[in-house]
Amino acid sequence: MASARRSGRAAVYLFLLLGTAAMIAPFVWMVLTSFKTVEESMRLPPTFLPRAPTAQSYTRALSLLPFARLYLNTGAMILLRVACAAAFSSMAGYAFAKLPFPGRRLCFAVVVTQLMLPPQIFIIPQYQMLAALRLTNTLFALVFPGLVSAFGTFFLRQAFMGVPDELLEAARLDGCGQGRIFAQVALPLVGAPMAALAVFTAVFAYGDLMWPLICNSDLNRMTLSAGLSTLRGQFSTNFPVLMAGSVLAMAPMVALYLLFQRQFIEGIAMTGGK
Amino acid sequence: MGMIKRAACALLALALCAGLSGCATDGGAGQRLTFQIWDNTQKAAMEAICAAYTRAHPDVTIDVQVTSWSEYWTKLEAAATGGTLPDVFWMHTDEMLRYADGGILADLTDLYDDAGYYEAHFSQGLLDNARGSDGRIYGVPKDRDTICLVYSRELFDAAGVSYPDESWTWHDLTSASQAIYDATGKYGYLAYNDEHLGYWSYVYQAGGYILTPDGKHAGYTQPATKKAIAFYVSLQDEPWCPPQTFFAETEPATAFFSGEAAMYFEGSWGLRSKLEDYPSMVGKWDVAVLPACPDPLSGDGRAVISNGLTYATAANGKNLEAAKDFLRFLGSEEAQRIQGEQGAAIPAYEGLQDTWLSVFDSFDYRINAEACLSMFAYSVQSPNNAARPAWKTRVSDEMLRVYAGETTLDAALESMQRTVDELSNR
Amino acid sequence: MRISAHDARWGALLAAPTVLGLLALNVYPFVQTLALSFSRTQAFGRSTFAGLENYARMFASTEFWRATWNTVYFCLLTVPAGVLLALLTAVLLNQGVRGRAAFRAAYFLPMVVPPAAVALLWKWMFNARYGVINALLGTSVGWVTDPALVLISCALVAVWSAVGYDAVLLLAGLQAIPATYYEAAALDGASAAQRFFRITLPMVSPTLFFVVILRAMASLKVYDLIYMIVEQSNPALPYAQSLMYLFYREAFIAGDKGYGSAIAVWTVLLIGVLTLFQFSAQGRWVHYDS
Repeated sequence: MASARRSGRAAVYLFLLLGTAAMIAPFVWMVLTSFKTVEESMRLPPTFLPRAPTAQSYTRALSLLPFARLYLNTGAMILLRVACAAAFSSMAGYAFAKLPFPGRRLCFAVVVTQLMLPPQIFIIPQYQMLAALRLTNTLFALVFPGLVSAFGTFFLRQAFMGVPDELLEAARLDGCGQGRIFAQVALPLVGAPMAALAVFTAVFAYGDLMWPLICNSDLNRMTLSAGLSTLRGQFSTNFPVLMAGSVLAMAPMVALYLLFQRQFIEGIAMTGGK
Repeated sequence: MGMIKRAACALLALALCAGLSGCATDGGAGQRLTFQIWDNTQKAAMEAICAAYTRAHPDVTIDVQVTSWSEYWTKLEAAATGGTLPDVFWMHTDEMLRYADGGILADLTDLYDDAGYYEAHFSQGLLDNARGSDGRIYGVPKDRDTICLVYSRELFDAAGVSYPDESWTWHDLTSASQAIYDATGKYGYLAYNDEHLGYWSYVYQAGGYILTPDGKHAGYTQPATKKAIAFYVSLQDEPWCPPQTFFAETEPATAFFSGEAAMYFEGSWGLRSKLEDYPSMVGKWDVAVLPACPDPLSGDGRAVISNGLTYATAANGKNLEAAKDFLRFLGSEEAQRIQGEQGAAIPAYEGLQDTWLSVFDSFDYRINAEACLSMFAYSVQSPNNAARPAWKTRVSDEMLRVYAGETTLDAALESMQRTVDELSNR
Repeated sequence: MRISAHDARWGALLAAPTVLGLLALNVYPFVQTLALSFSRTQAFGRSTFAGLENYARMFASTEFWRATWNTVYFCLLTVPAGVLLALLTAVLLNQGVRGRAAFRAAYFLPMVVPPAAVALLWKWMFNARYGVINALLGTSVGWVTDPALVLISCALVAVWSAVGYDAVLLLAGLQAIPATYYEAAALDGASAAQRFFRITLPMVSPTLFFVVILRAMASLKVYDLIYMIVEQSNPALPYAQSLMYLFYREAFIAGDKGYGSAIAVWTVLLIGVLTLFQFSAQGRWVHYDS
């Protein structure tokens, strides 16, 4: 029994370690490739470590893309989208969960419908709206499609459903108006789901590829994902340069993540419930 | 949690910086123009042209903005629909008629006071590229290009094969490929599924055509067209040519410049950036004219697809007058000379073609870029009509099916003929 | 709860920004798409009514049906495998293993890398001739060029990217299960398998349902990943092209907005039907009592 348990334990660790290797190994290959020349990257059979490590791919990627601006824009876009999603979604989520108002079901149907719509169909109409507002080529343009979030509303509605009515009723008996009940009683109770939503919104905004390229023309107002696409436009299948660009694009986010990974993941983990 | 707050504050500060500095660049008096292009390797040359213009017009500033080819047209269409097109932008022949006929582009026929300016300085073929279906001119000719045969001196030497020259025909291309493959194990000529850089030149060499000159009918089922495409597709079966699946993962240029192949077709516009992007390969490769068809059904077997871009502006642009003034400059001898001397592209302006050669002197090995210019003697304008964007993907999909062995070439050519005829006469 | 005018006013006020925003940013474009799908469009926004022409053409197109199948197939490849793998990882991580935080961090890593970089990286590793995967396996498989494999390879990347995120969500659900349940089961002499199927699975089912819905919707809308890995020059494209990839090619590259819109409307219907089905089936396996 004891030895069976021990071998079971070993199997668990083996599985987890194999999984970890599968997660990390591709990134190792990315870094190794980025230090090779293009000739070496296509040598047969492939070399593992670069024979003569060179940073020339990094020089080319850096000369093409204004990375400092891209970091700044991406950070700003993520932050503003997260702020909008958190603010508007918590308001709407609370209303849908706790405040019956005429037309609530219909409004909620709008939220659920949005979840099913593929984002590609929004590109041209949203661009036209932005153009009418004369706001193309701005930081705001990057944030625009994320001003409100159907996913966030849906997600936080679930969280507010879990807040006991008695608590809110007690606050009301104390003479609080709904505004104060929302801000001071209900909101603090959904801190963890809010953190999870922030992470989700950040990850989603980070990956948005098409929109930044359409709404802004200036490379100085693009995001990292859009910058990588530009790099691919010029270097098509020159993988050392593409990998060097990828390493540069992911480095700050990965560094931040490793620093804050506990808070980051626990933010999501807290939402576990329903 | 304290850490998170501090990090959030730092990020917020960054966001504000980004927002503020974003706004700061919008300030200032004077005229501000945007200039949209898709080729990053020409950005420096375009900026040099802008600098020359703004020296004479200190109150104007021009931003050159690059969007890569794969997103350029989606972006331009969104901007055209939203009425926010850049002040000046590059136009490609594939899309010219759609934009011109759609009323998007400003009529530039009377851009120059001198009514004969265009005819005096640009060839008839290039001006045809710049016209809408109504015959008016909607773009200022920017450049012209040809396609050349890029070959590896290293692999030719290793196999003891003499370098390609004017005397080469399709037979020489295949026999040299075989000899190099036998001697070195490397690929010979890279025959990949592409129109402009692939089979189109072969079609015209054999005496066939893709579209009739009036653009109303396709020529895929013409015997000469069939002969050329059949030849091109059959190259894939040779041991020295990788299958199409190879090119889906590795572009021909990447394969060539990593020393894996001996020959491929490259556009004249790509030569300078190849020298810059692959510094360790300089001296190991050179360029030659395209091999000729040995037994054309008509003509002398020589042809090369040539194309040219134009500079355009929007009909309803809010800086239309300023944009037009800049366009006048873009079509001037001075601007076209800068374009050539920077090595960006072969100037459209008659008599300035040779300026493009000087940039090649700055590399340790001087490639024979003259080969690209010499082919203008028999160049053919890239086939085009208003339905081009619609049939381009259909024809490419059909060719993929041929390569995958899902359909026969004859059936595919029939189908391409039908598709293109139908779309062109809608 | 009593419905008071005060509450209703606040409710409408708090929901207004989101609802108005969604109406403008998302519902209006969808209505436009719906209208376009019944139109013959010309360049730059002009269109004429064309009845069911686009739909007739769409339903007659083998390319379209193949794209529909590809989309469903991609969903079938990614959702069950991805969710099961995530559940397995979460269950194992919940065994009180040492270094759990480190494992969690590693599994989550792909989520913080731009998806464009992830796609480029895998495309490079999949390369049939120069790729590291074939070199390690000693094979020469066309991972992204073989029609039979291309979607499986794309699905692999999708699962690889998302498994950590899903595992973290599920792990949280597992941790919310009271330990007393397991203790009671242990007293009854329940085996590990019995404990999993009688306690763990029912208790974690609401989270599992959430993850399944999230993944299914995302996989039915897939575009970016396949677009980055399978270029338009790839002969395997017909076997990899998802509905939204086809939409992109028809609406943006070939410039036929009307036909593209019909494809988009079909995609929304497909997602709607499958989501309804999932919601109606949830009563059979999702347990909401706590």
